[in-house]
Amino acid sequence: MKHATIFFLYVSQYMKTRLTYRVDMLMEIMSDLLFQAVNLIFILVVFGHTDMLSGWSKDEIIFIYGFFLVPFAIFGAFFNIWDFNERYIVKGEMDRILTRPVHSLFQIILERMELESLFGVITGIAVMVYAGNRLDLNVSWYDPIVFLFMVLGGAFVYAGIFILLASISFWSDSRTSIMPMMYNIGNYGRYPVDIYNKVIRFVLTWILPFAFVGVYPSAYFLGREEWYGYAFLTPVMGVAFFGFAIFMWNIGVTKYRGAGN
Amino acid sequence: MEKVIDVQSLRKDFKSHSSRSGLKGAFRDLFTRNYKVISAVKDISFTVNEGEMVGYIGENGAGKSTSIKMLTGILTPTSGTVRVNGMDPHKEREKFVSSIGVVFGQRSQLWWDIAVQESFRLLKKVYNVPDDVYNDHMNHVIESLDIGPLLDKPVRKLSLGQRMRCELAAALLHNPKLLFLDEPTIGLDVLVKLKIRNFLKEINEKYKTTILLTTHDLTDIEALCERVVMLDEGQIIYDGKLAKLRSNWGEGKQIEFQFGEQVNLENLQPLLTELQAEWTKGDRDNVWIANVVNEEHVISEVIGRVVAANRITDIKIHEISTEEIIRNIYEEGMLNG
Repeated sequence: MKHATIFFLYVSQYMKTRLTYRVDMLMEIMSDLLFQAVNLIFILVVFGHTDMLSGWSKDEIIFIYGFFLVPFAIFGAFFNIWDFNERYIVKGEMDRILTRPVHSLFQIILERMELESLFGVITGIAVMVYAGNRLDLNVSWYDPIVFLFMVLGGAFVYAGIFILLASISFWSDSRTSIMPMMYNIGNYGRYPVDIYNKVIRFVLTWILPFAFVGVYPSAYFLGREEWYGYAFLTPVMGVAFFGFAIFMWNIGVTKYRGAGN
Repeated sequence: MEKVIDVQSLRKDFKSHSSRSGLKGAFRDLFTRNYKVISAVKDISFTVNEGEMVGYIGENGAGKSTSIKMLTGILTPTSGTVRVNGMDPHKEREKFVSSIGVVFGQRSQLWWDIAVQESFRLLKKVYNVPDDVYNDHMNHVIESLDIGPLLDKPVRKLSLGQRMRCELAAALLHNPKLLFLDEPTIGLDVLVKLKIRNFLKEINEKYKTTILLTTHDLTDIEALCERVVMLDEGQIIYDGKLAKLRSNWGEGKQIEFQFGEQVNLENLQPLLTELQAEWTKGDRDNVWIANVVNEEHVISEVIGRVVAANRITDIKIHEISTEEIIRNIYEEGMLNG
C-alpha cells in the first residue's frame, strides 16, 4: 500500500516535470516511433527476398515483432537502468538511496522511469492487430488474460537480465560496455529461434532468455502448438529471473563500496 | 543516559588491486592481480549519548566518511559492532534509516527539477509521516529556517545557501532522533552559517536531537560541539571535550611583530635565549611570530627585549586558534594530553 502511493506520487511528479518540457517529450516519442518503423522496414526488406523464414511467414514475424514491442515498452518505462553504474555507483548517488527507508531498487526504478516508452504498447498492439487480421487469427475470451501474463513475464525477463547486469557494478566499479551489447542480443528474441544455430537458441532460451520476450509467447497466439510448452513457461521464467535478479541485487548492496570523496 | 550510538572495534577494509606498471604489467594484471588491503577504519570504539552534539573531525582520508557511512547503514563493516538507535544499521536498513536524518553537503536529497514542497511531499510519503505530525513539526522548521518563500521554487533555481537550508529541513522532515551532518556549511556565507547553527542548537534543545557533525570548518564545531572525536589514519586520536583540547594544546600565545626594517632569524634568535619561546616567520615581509608560553613574565620579557633591540611598526597578540591546535596535533602525529 505504501509502495503503491509512493509509486503514484512519483508518477504524478514525473508527468508534471515532463509536461513542462513538452518539446523534449514529443521528440522522445517521435524517435521511439521512428526506431520501431525502421525495424518494421527491416522485416519487410528481408521478406522482399524470401516468402518464408524457417517456416514462418512474413505476417507471423510482424506479429512477433508487434508482441515484442509491448513487454519491451514496459521494460523501457520502468527497468531501463542501463546507466546505473555511472549514475549511482561512480557518482555516489547510491549513498542517498541507501539513507531512505524504501527498498533501493524500487527507488531507482522510480527515479529512472521513462513513461514515454509506454507508447510502444500502443504501437505494438496496433502491429499485432494488423498482422493478426491478415493471418485470420481468432481471439478467445481468455486470450487477453493470457496476453497480460505473457507480457508481464516477458517484461520481467528483460528486467531481470538488466537488473543482474546492473548488480555487477556492486562488485566491480569499473565501467563496462556490456549494456549496449545486451540491447543487440535482446533484439534476437524478436525472430523465431529456429532460424539460429543450436548454441544461440540455447543461450536465448536459458542463459539470456530473450526468446521469452518475443517468439515463445507469440507462438501461443499464432497457434503454433509445437512451441506451446515454451510459451506457457514465459511467466515462470519471468518470475524466476526477476526473483533471482533481486536476490543478487540484495547481496550486491551489502558489497557496495561507496564512491570516494 | 541512553546511548544513541555505540560502536565497538569497528573496522572497514577495502580491497583494491594495484596495477603493475607498463604494458607487460598490464598483461600480467589480466591473469593474476595484486590485491592490497587498505584499512580505512581501524578498530574504533566510541559511544554517543542522547542529546549530545559531537564534532567528528579529521583530515581527508582519515576515515571520517567511511565510518559515517557505516553508522548510516550505507556500508557494511568488515568487523566490529555498530548499534545506532538500538539497531544494526546495515541489517535492518529500511527500518533503521527512518530513525535518522542525513545531510551530505555535497549531495542533494532533493529532486532537482521539482519545487521544494513537492520534494517534501514525496519524502513525507517515503518516511510515512502522518499529516498532523508533519504540519506541526514542519511549520516550525520552515519558519526557523526561513524557507517559506522558497517552497514553490524548483531546487535548481535556489542558491547554495537556500538549497542547504532546504536540505536541512528535508533531513528533519520525519523528526529523527539522530542527525548526521557531513559538511553542512561548506561554501556558505557567514549569515547562512549562523542561521544554520542557531537552528541546530534550537532543535537540539527542543527535541534532544543527537547531532554528529563532520566538517572542515572548525568554527562550526566551536560554535556547536562540546565534544570532539578526532580521527587520523583510521584511528581515534582524541575523544573528549573541545575545551580540554584547547587547554592542553592551546597553552600559548603568539606575538606577531611587524618590523620596520629587514631582520633575519640570526638577529632574532638571541633575543629569546633562556625563554620558553621560539620564532616562526610570518606570511608577510618583515613579520615574525614569537610563539610563547602563556605566562605574563615571559610575554612581557619577549616584548621588552624585541622592542628594545628593533624598530617595530606593529604588535599583535593572538591566542592559538583551534585550527592551529589541530594542525599541530596532526603534525606531531600523537596526543600527549
